[in-house]
Amino acid sequence: MKFSYNWIRELVDGLDIDPKHLEQLITIKTAECEGIEPFEGSQPGCAPDSIIEIDNKSITHRPDLWGHAGMAREVAAITRRPFLDPVRVDLVPAGPSPARISIEDFELCPRYSALVFENISVQPSPAWLQCRLEAIGLNPINNIVDVTNYVMAEIAQPMHAFDADKLHGDTIFVRRARAGECLTALNEERYELSTGNLVIADAKGAIALGGVIGGLESAISDATKRIVLESANFQAVGIRRTSAELKLRTDASMRFEKSQDPANTVRGLARAIELLNEVCPGIRLVGGLADQAREIVPPPAVLLPLDWLVRKLGLAISEEEVRDILERLQFGVETSSPGVLSVTVPGWRSTRDISIKDDLVEEIGRMVGYDTITPSAPMVTATVPPANEERLFHHRVREMAAAQGYTEVYNYSFISEDMARAFHLEPHAHLEIANPINSDQRLMRCSLLPGIWKNIEENSRNYDSFRLFEIGLEIHKREDAVRLPDEIPHLAAAVYGRGDGVDGLFELKRLAECLMPGAVVARCEPRPYEHPHRSVALRWHGSAVGRLFELHPTMVAGRAAILDVNLQLVYKLQPGTAMYKPIRRFPSSAFDLSVIIGLRDEVGRVGELLAQFAGPNLEALEFVRQYSGPPLAAGQKSVSYRMTLAAADRTLSASEVSAVRNGIIEAMRAKGYDLRI
Amino acid sequence: MLESILRDLECSARERIAAAKAPQYLEAVRIEVLGRKGTLAQISKELGKLPPEERARIGKLLNSVKQNLETALDSKKGQFDHEALRERLESEWVDLTLPAPGTRPGALHPITRIQTEIEDLFISLGFAVLDGPEVETEYNNFDALNIPPHHPARDMQDTFWLTDGHLLRTHTSPVQVRGMERLGPPLRMIAPGRVFRNEEVDASHEHTFYQLEGMMIDRDVSVAHLIFFMKTLLSAIFHRDVEVRLRPGYFPFVEPGFELDIKCLICGGGGCPVCKQSGWVELLPCGLVHPNVLRMSGIDPEEWNGFAFGLGLTRLAMMRYGIDDIRLLQSGDLRCLTQF
Ligand SMILES: [Zn+2]
Repeated sequence: MKFSYNWIRELVDGLDIDPKHLEQLITIKTAECEGIEPFEGSQPGCAPDSIIEIDNKSITHRPDLWGHAGMAREVAAITRRPFLDPVRVDLVPAGPSPARISIEDFELCPRYSALVFENISVQPSPAWLQCRLEAIGLNPINNIVDVTNYVMAEIAQPMHAFDADKLHGDTIFVRRARAGECLTALNEERYELSTGNLVIADAKGAIALGGVIGGLESAISDATKRIVLESANFQAVGIRRTSAELKLRTDASMRFEKSQDPANTVRGLARAIELLNEVCPGIRLVGGLADQAREIVPPPAVLLPLDWLVRKLGLAISEEEVRDILERLQFGVETSSPGVLSVTVPGWRSTRDISIKDDLVEEIGRMVGYDTITPSAPMVTATVPPANEERLFHHRVREMAAAQGYTEVYNYSFISEDMARAFHLEPHAHLEIANPINSDQRLMRCSLLPGIWKNIEENSRNYDSFRLFEIGLEIHKREDAVRLPDEIPHLAAAVYGRGDGVDGLFELKRLAECLMPGAVVARCEPRPYEHPHRSVALRWHGSAVGRLFELHPTMVAGRAAILDVNLQLVYKLQPGTAMYKPIRRFPSSAFDLSVIIGLRDEVGRVGELLAQFAGPNLEALEFVRQYSGPPLAAGQKSVSYRMTLAAADRTLSASEVSAVRNGIIEAMRAKGYDLRI
Repeated sequence: MLESILRDLECSARERIAAAKAPQYLEAVRIEVLGRKGTLAQISKELGKLPPEERARIGKLLNSVKQNLETALDSKKGQFDHEALRERLESEWVDLTLPAPGTRPGALHPITRIQTEIEDLFISLGFAVLDGPEVETEYNNFDALNIPPHHPARDMQDTFWLTDGHLLRTHTSPVQVRGMERLGPPLRMIAPGRVFRNEEVDASHEHTFYQLEGMMIDRDVSVAHLIFFMKTLLSAIFHRDVEVRLRPGYFPFVEPGFELDIKCLICGGGGCPVCKQSGWVELLPCGLVHPNVLRMSGIDPEEWNGFAFGLGLTRLAMMRYGIDDIRLLQSGDLRCLTQF
């Protein structure tokens, strides 16, 4: 929202601070300024001005600040100067109006006021008016439209002028649109309306979209001789809904959706009378004010206990000062009981902004200045906060992965359909974003792998080899859509290289073993995006916790090994505190065994069997080497393990050890294995 | 006669020891002269044949020859040992400028670094660290935070909606609601996490970024406490004394609501491009928790009150590491991420 410095100065008596200083005051006391621009109008005779840009978000709650008078009132309060109200309500004539108003929905339109003027000459506005509008970014159009815009920019009351000769009948209806009813608006777009939209209509049909935009057919033209000037109040929610539905935001809708003060409709007309008399020579009012409104009940006074206020602010402030501040801001202040003020809220602050005592804390705080409050340490109980063990676990996993050479990446939660399909995930199995920024970011990831894949592809353009990882949430749709989706933290890590890829797989296996000591790999059905002979499931404490695989060579140039682990599960499966076991006091004995197996038989299986047959005194089983070549037959390899035996209570005798050894050999042979002894 | 033999023996043995080129020559001398069947042993057998006074004199001489030769042998052996050690050390030269084998450590993401640092800080101040889902209900994200449907404040946070009616949280504030409902007052909590806004992406705007929401609820919490707390916290984050100021800011879940600025750390308040010449940098929104928010979470606002604040972790990380393009953070580009 752009504010003209000159305009504000006109409305604050004796304001003598420069634009820069004014901007700082407004920022500290009222709303956020985004900067000042000098303005030199295109019209001759324009006074140079400074335009203060206010962040719209910071005045979302202040309907009054969407006009210069509201800001001027604020500045007047801050600087302790009189506010000069530009509106002379006494200009509104008494007597019946030739126009009749029929509001059918007081919910959506609490008040509709109008005046009829004749003997209009539509012409360009005088330079001063054009300058004012240009300065705040509005295009001058003609004297009639410019006056409506001027009043809107001044007192935040949007208005609309209809060409009275193009209206049918003498009644203006304010009603919900009929299903399928259409309106061609001033912007020359045609809108199909629904019953949620409020229209202004004549006997024939819609002539405006209430509070949003006027209709083209009844618009002011150079030939216009008589006008109906509308100044109405619309309900914020209805305006927002319509404006969102039709994707149409106008200067009017932006103001109405902030909840404007219904008192402003007549004030707007009063201001317009004065301005039209000046810029439209010969103009005449026809009759008096047409005005229909539902009963508008002033909100109850807010009770403000002073000791409560002092406690909230943490600042000792006197009753006099509180009164002074509130009165400067045009609140009504009475003493309700000793130490409690009864505060009446002015109409332009009560529609949305201020209704409870907490709202008044802000008024006092900002006016007295937050910089006058002395910071003080809060008095709170000393308690140990509940630990978030799972989050700490994630942090430990991050540290571990980074220490092992993996660099952390963050990927978006969104993936494209193509990415999903590449990992054989059905697009419709994903949660979908209804309003994605682009179609490539429409699905919520239910796997980290598509993102990791993209990281691999992109980084392989810059590096021959790298390691990376991500810890992030998989988001899984539930059958029951009412419940929130399942969000499961996963660790995905990747090793990329140009070699034979084996090292990468084992590096990741090592990472998995560090994360899950004793985890085992299990053969599994390879997935289509996995190398069919380089893919295993990971199991830990009996649960399937993830996968280790090489990405299928059709998906990447080079080799990419990937580890994908469900961290939620791993967290739950973590063993408890390890208890100390006494150090063994008796020496151990070790021997090696070599087992002959087929080249593609799994070594791990041999180890499992050896351990199984070794019995209770097996202390350690260690893989030594595997070998293929002469004297072994082609297609065979020899696998050697070192087995260490020990007992807790004695030294095992040589015969005990050899009995175990022989037992293992026999059992292995019984299983069909050949041993080299 | 024996006397001259002994003297000759000592003399010649000394010469051989001195001339020895390797430890084994010494060993030969030791065996030949000092050994059990060596020359000195032979001579000592002769001693018995001598008259008593002669025997004592020659015996003494024999002992001194023996001792002298042993000393000479030890000393020469010491030289050999020393030389051998010197040679070994000499041969073991290693070039430690060569790179160490094995994998270099990777790097943690800049946001992870900032986030864990700030989490630790809050834990030390007695705050619980809470998590919440990234996909939220409309109620938790808006209604429970005093932003009813069609409230214009919903425009402040362009929202990603899911086709099932849920949404991607636009702030981590919903975790406040969960925290209040789960832990109740008194409460000190933070909620760091990923949030989403439906915004076009450019060097300074992202649709996905990281926030840390904080809240403290107790019996007596004031604006003065909020200022003190934020000043303490920010001084710890920036590792220096930070000056803060509050100015009005509108957020429906707090009342009063503030924008908190810190005095520009670059220019110290004098004005520079970073602070747009104002001397202050907008850092975070905060305020006293709105009574409606407390009430909706089952907390009596007449009995309890508190403050809440939102810290932009993405922005802090960019400030800390001098990252000038927000898109780098989620690019997965190792050329950037390996730098930390
Ligand atoms: Zn600066």
